Amino acid sequence: MLRQRLIDALGADAVKTEAEDLAVYAFDAYSQGVVPAAVVLPASTREVAAAVKIAKDCGEPIIPRGAGTGLCGGAIPARGGVVFSFARMNRVLEVDVRNRRARVQPGLINLDLSKHVATAGLFYAPDPSSQKVSTIGGNIGTNAGGPHCLSYGTTVNHILELEIVDENGDVMTTSLDDIGYDLTGVLVGSEGTLAIVTSAWVRLLRQPETVRVWLAAFDDVNAASAAVTGIIGAGIIPTALEMMDHVMLPAIEAAFHAGYPTDAAAVLLIESAGFEDEMNLHESEMRRIMNANGATTWRAAKSEAERDALWAGRKGALGATGRIAPNYYIQDVVVPRTKLPQALQAVAEACGSRGIIAGNVFHAGDGNLHPLLMYDRGDSKQVAAVIEAGNEILEAAVDLGGTISGEHGIGYEKRDTLTRIFSTDDLATMSRVREVFDPKRVLNPEKIFPAGVGCAEVK
Amino acid sequence: MTVDELRETLARCDRDGLKVSIEGGKTLAGMGPALPRADVSLITTGLNTILTHEYHDLTCSAQSGVRVAQLNAALGKHGQFIPIDVPLRKKATIGGSLAAGWPGPRRHFYGRARDFVIGSQVALADGTLANAGGMVVKNVSGYDMSKLYIGSFGTLAVFTHLNFKTLPVPKKRRTLIAPLPEATRPRAIAQIASLAVTPAAAFCVEGFGKNVDGADDIDGRVLLYFEGTEELLERATLDTRSALGKAGVPETTIVDTGAAESFGRTLDACIANKRGRSITYRLFGPPGTAEERAEQLRDACNRHELFTDVLLDVMNGDVFVRASERDARRFADKIEACHIELRELEPRCAIVASDAAVRAPFEPWGAVPPAIEKMRAMKARFDPHGTLNPGRFIGGI
Repeated sequence: MLRQRLIDALGADAVKTEAEDLAVYAFDAYSQGVVPAAVVLPASTREVAAAVKIAKDCGEPIIPRGAGTGLCGGAIPARGGVVFSFARMNRVLEVDVRNRRARVQPGLINLDLSKHVATAGLFYAPDPSSQKVSTIGGNIGTNAGGPHCLSYGTTVNHILELEIVDENGDVMTTSLDDIGYDLTGVLVGSEGTLAIVTSAWVRLLRQPETVRVWLAAFDDVNAASAAVTGIIGAGIIPTALEMMDHVMLPAIEAAFHAGYPTDAAAVLLIESAGFEDEMNLHESEMRRIMNANGATTWRAAKSEAERDALWAGRKGALGATGRIAPNYYIQDVVVPRTKLPQALQAVAEACGSRGIIAGNVFHAGDGNLHPLLMYDRGDSKQVAAVIEAGNEILEAAVDLGGTISGEHGIGYEKRDTLTRIFSTDDLATMSRVREVFDPKRVLNPEKIFPAGVGCAEVK
Repeated sequence: MTVDELRETLARCDRDGLKVSIEGGKTLAGMGPALPRADVSLITTGLNTILTHEYHDLTCSAQSGVRVAQLNAALGKHGQFIPIDVPLRKKATIGGSLAAGWPGPRRHFYGRARDFVIGSQVALADGTLANAGGMVVKNVSGYDMSKLYIGSFGTLAVFTHLNFKTLPVPKKRRTLIAPLPEATRPRAIAQIASLAVTPAAAFCVEGFGKNVDGADDIDGRVLLYFEGTEELLERATLDTRSALGKAGVPETTIVDTGAAESFGRTLDACIANKRGRSITYRLFGPPGTAEERAEQLRDACNRHELFTDVLLDVMNGDVFVRASERDARRFADKIEACHIELRELEPRCAIVASDAAVRAPFEPWGAVPPAIEKMRAMKARFDPHGTLNPGRFIGGI
């Protein structure tokens, strides 16, 4: 019945129910969920609304899905249901150059938007490392960040208006220009648990006149952390400030030939964008800070090709882990920037004590760590050790005044650890929003909220 | 008042069916219905402690009754600030400013004030304290509840404290002021919008007398605020003079001393009220349509023989139009028909400043947004007894 009704509404090409098709949609980049009952590929808002009504009628959960690059199980069908893929809603609908904005469909690949508007001298700022494949809709779901959100802000800072389909199949818009509650701000980062985004007006930025990228190498990871604090404390907010450690540098260099020193304890990759005069000032000040903190190397990318190579290494870092171990687990925690040395120490201890190799590639300027825990999935002891170490890192970040996710989201993976940072009252308050949008928890169930947090606690 | 006293007061009122009006510095009291129903006024200005300033981390936390200027003065001791661009910053509280959701003219440059809030604590109608976010600059742990409270006019919850990320204070500020004859306006606006060095804020102003810097004569004036390094400001000055010259704007005056105060006066003008004889309307929209919208509203006011002052935010597209008369009686005679026409032209224009008695006959917020039913449901879920600022917000929320 479900299958036929979906086919009647969307057409046979837009509905997948064969076992081999469905199996793929049980996964995302984190883990495996339950094989869904169906996958739909709507081509319009109207079709999304129709499919939502059918799924709800049939009692099936609804799981919106971007490119499946999420790292916390946000897109896995935890209870089966109907997966909504936006692969056919992947267009730029409108570019408004005068007002520096674009209206896009949720399935549009992040990087394709910047390519599309490049000739107008514009770009879309949020740049998760997955930007070559991840979609704007998925980015909205997780409030995705990326290296450049240090100065440009995360996805929520760049969303002006959303068109959504709610759990009843009703279509509505929310806009920052509306007077009323900022539903846009709440919908971004809600991981598909409140509504399905069917289009978005996004903010575009003017391409900067000058972009410079520098590399600084250190013999000591704490010195590199101190340099990060020094830059931010000096009132310089680079567009990106990334750190890579001695575990990752040789692997990345071998994979990408990015031009990284392979014998350093840590490397900082720093980008500033703006005007020539400003860049000169930033450069001289940052060089002073690097020297004061014992940098062994300080060099600027001399060409666009060199700049791109330095970034290709950073953005491809996860792929390079294959040179170290068959599998990796990436943690995503944030600490106050000045606590980076303690956080890195905690990572080293959590992993070292269990014999796990841990690499670090992360957004140092934001205090957003991404420890990469290397292991072999075939070895159950290693799997157990990695899970333990990951939890210990998470606990350490919270103890340092930080939080359990900076940009990947809570999804399925971290929902039970949300209680580590929020009280029952805090979560019950959050749950009220869910009650308004999705009282029956049809949309992406088993995500964000710890099992058992619902209306009972709200009363 | 302490946080505990605040939550206990709310809990008691909620239990006893008393309606509570939430007040900060009352600087934006000219927004919303003239006579909101309330049995109890809850004034947050006693919550006036700056809790932390982790200046190496560029974060801070302050109670909701701290004044905007007070917070920025404290942050300024370590060369930092938060761009909360509201009128009357010495008096406005951070809680009130954020609750009112005043977006501010530097939002295209720094981001909205809401984007600087990294965490908050609120008291709900039943007295429950609820935290959101944290003290780190990047956080996607659950729904961003602070965003829901920001701009909710205290109808969902009451801020007790807010956590912010801060910015380094710009090295230098400069104001450029020039007369703006009507014929030059469209080209001048286009030139400003495409300047290579983006102004932190830019306004085209007609009228407003001494509320706004520059000569208030038959021409309007343009005010551009630049923030950055000395070198950047020099370049901005040359570029702006050249661009405005191309648009036919005669001469540009540089004001370096007191540029921040000049900017503050322009912010204040947005709600400058003539006692008993003016209403100021605000209309959001894309920058590219701002001039057309401003003209439409101004012409409507003129048709009703009302004086008009217009302030147009070039970079963000906000339009403020103040309709006024020489005396209250003449104003009362004309404003009703004018208001009706303005709403027909622009259903979303909202009243942001006026005396209560003047706006009493009018619906202040304008057309309800498409998602109003979700908003009503949100109000019912957060404040089931309608305790907090009942009827204060759009659609009678």
